[in-house]
Amino acid sequence: MRRRRQREQINGIAWAITPAALLFVLFFALPFGVMAALSLLSGNPVSNPNVAFTWRNYARLIDSDLYFDALIATLRIGLVVTILALLIGYPLAHWMARMRSRVGHALLLMAVIAPMLTGIVVRTFAWMTLLSDRGVINTTLTWLGWIEKPLPLMYGEFGVVVGLVHIYVPFMVLTLVGVIGRIDPALEEAARNLGAGRLHTFLEVTLPLSLPGILAGSLLVFALAISAYVTPVLLGGGNVLTLPMLIYQQVSASFNLGFAGALGVVLLAVSLALVVAYNAILGRLSGERRLA
Amino acid sequence: MSTRIDAGRVTYLAVNTGVVLFLLLPIAIIAVFALNPTPYIAFPPVGVSLRWFAKFFASADFMNALWLSLGVAAVVVVLATVIGALVALAIARGNLPGARLLTAVFLSPLMLPAILTGLALFQVFMLAGIGRPLWGLVVGHTLVAVPYVLRTTLAVLHDFDRRIEEAAAVLGAAPARVFREVTLPLIRPGVMAGGIFAFIVSFDQFPISLFLVVPNGETLPVVLFNYIRFDLDGAIAAASMVSIALALAVVFALERLIGLRAYVRL
Repeated sequence: MRRRRQREQINGIAWAITPAALLFVLFFALPFGVMAALSLLSGNPVSNPNVAFTWRNYARLIDSDLYFDALIATLRIGLVVTILALLIGYPLAHWMARMRSRVGHALLLMAVIAPMLTGIVVRTFAWMTLLSDRGVINTTLTWLGWIEKPLPLMYGEFGVVVGLVHIYVPFMVLTLVGVIGRIDPALEEAARNLGAGRLHTFLEVTLPLSLPGILAGSLLVFALAISAYVTPVLLGGGNVLTLPMLIYQQVSASFNLGFAGALGVVLLAVSLALVVAYNAILGRLSGERRLA
Repeated sequence: MSTRIDAGRVTYLAVNTGVVLFLLLPIAIIAVFALNPTPYIAFPPVGVSLRWFAKFFASADFMNALWLSLGVAAVVVVLATVIGALVALAIARGNLPGARLLTAVFLSPLMLPAILTGLALFQVFMLAGIGRPLWGLVVGHTLVAVPYVLRTTLAVLHDFDRRIEEAAAVLGAAPARVFREVTLPLIRPGVMAGGIFAFIVSFDQFPISLFLVVPNGETLPVVLFNYIRFDLDGAIAAASMVSIALALAVVFALERLIGLRAYVRL
């Protein structure tokens, strides 16, 4: 009875989901399934009918120092980028959320979204012109007489982190703005009227209330940072090896689809966990808003 | 007391100005290198010339890539707009069970590593023995473009009063007419904004293209990436300016069309 009523509620418009469902099943879910399957097979099932089930590709990831180090480096870079993006993004998000002028708000929003709409290759190139030995920063510092030799800003984790922070700060800001904007300014004013200083008010009222946004933004930035390819390649200059770089190497240089698949499954598992947590946090947030 | 508050306020504004500069200056600096005539990236600039723009527009490699990128983006806009708007309608108006989960699934290409989407599609095409067809590239781009259209269309659908549609139906309009004359005009700004995002997402797309392009059939970001690895001259800066100009045009178009706020809300 209940089931029948439910079915009646679904109307004709629901069929509009078909093209998207087909696209996602055929070219999203199925390919990821194939990727996972290949990672567990001993060879290519099309060219070689005698393939067998194997954990070999995953064992290789753990056994080899090179691959394991790459995994750790990927997570380390992701963590540092997330923390820095939070430290840089929070003040800006707070400013935007509390900006009363409409024009000012629109301008800030443009300043945040414009970099997002600039290609990753272009933005990474911009950082190469800033950080390289003959780049803007080193030339300026030398001209000022502060340094004699160019600082090694590029071709290492430092450069990669700087470039990635620049790319992912906007995602942090946009997630935080919504959450901070939902905090009633009256709560902050009340705290200040009761004698709390600016910093005290922030630490005791604003910060705790924006915690869900901080968590959601951090999960998002971490998920994006660990899957970056362009920036670690160009700004790392061969001195940085991350999981996405390994994945592409396995395809382009070794054509080892099985091992590339295993690396992909590991990256996918981490990302999926982050996505689910992100959605859960934002879902709970919008649920609270509906109740309020 | 008041000087302490002012000091705090000044620090707050200084930090924020610094963050905005951090976001924008690296992009602005590209303009300097695009116009500087020295044969390699050098600072400070020694003059102003258009030689790098001339080199970019005269290079067959760059131009082929630019036209391919624009062509792919144009097709992706059409596909993503239609598919994205339809799925948004289905989710917002179809009374489907698990609408939240469906939304999360169709938005997931935004958060899941695009490089894996590229890898997975590449593996399927390899196993199927169809190589790397151009339509495969279009499909890959469409996957990551649909979420943008879905998001902007859903934002508009959630915003407008459903009773407008119901009123039209009560007054005797057939469902098709309600859709054509009420729903469609109301969601058009959201769909168009999503289409603009779809264009820029496809035009700038790198990780998926990396796996799906064929030699001599590479999109502009892939060509730029390969060029940067071996050569760091003003041609890249000029090419970057072209794509930044496109991005800026998009930002202004969006702001005029629906206001950027709508994009941020969901």
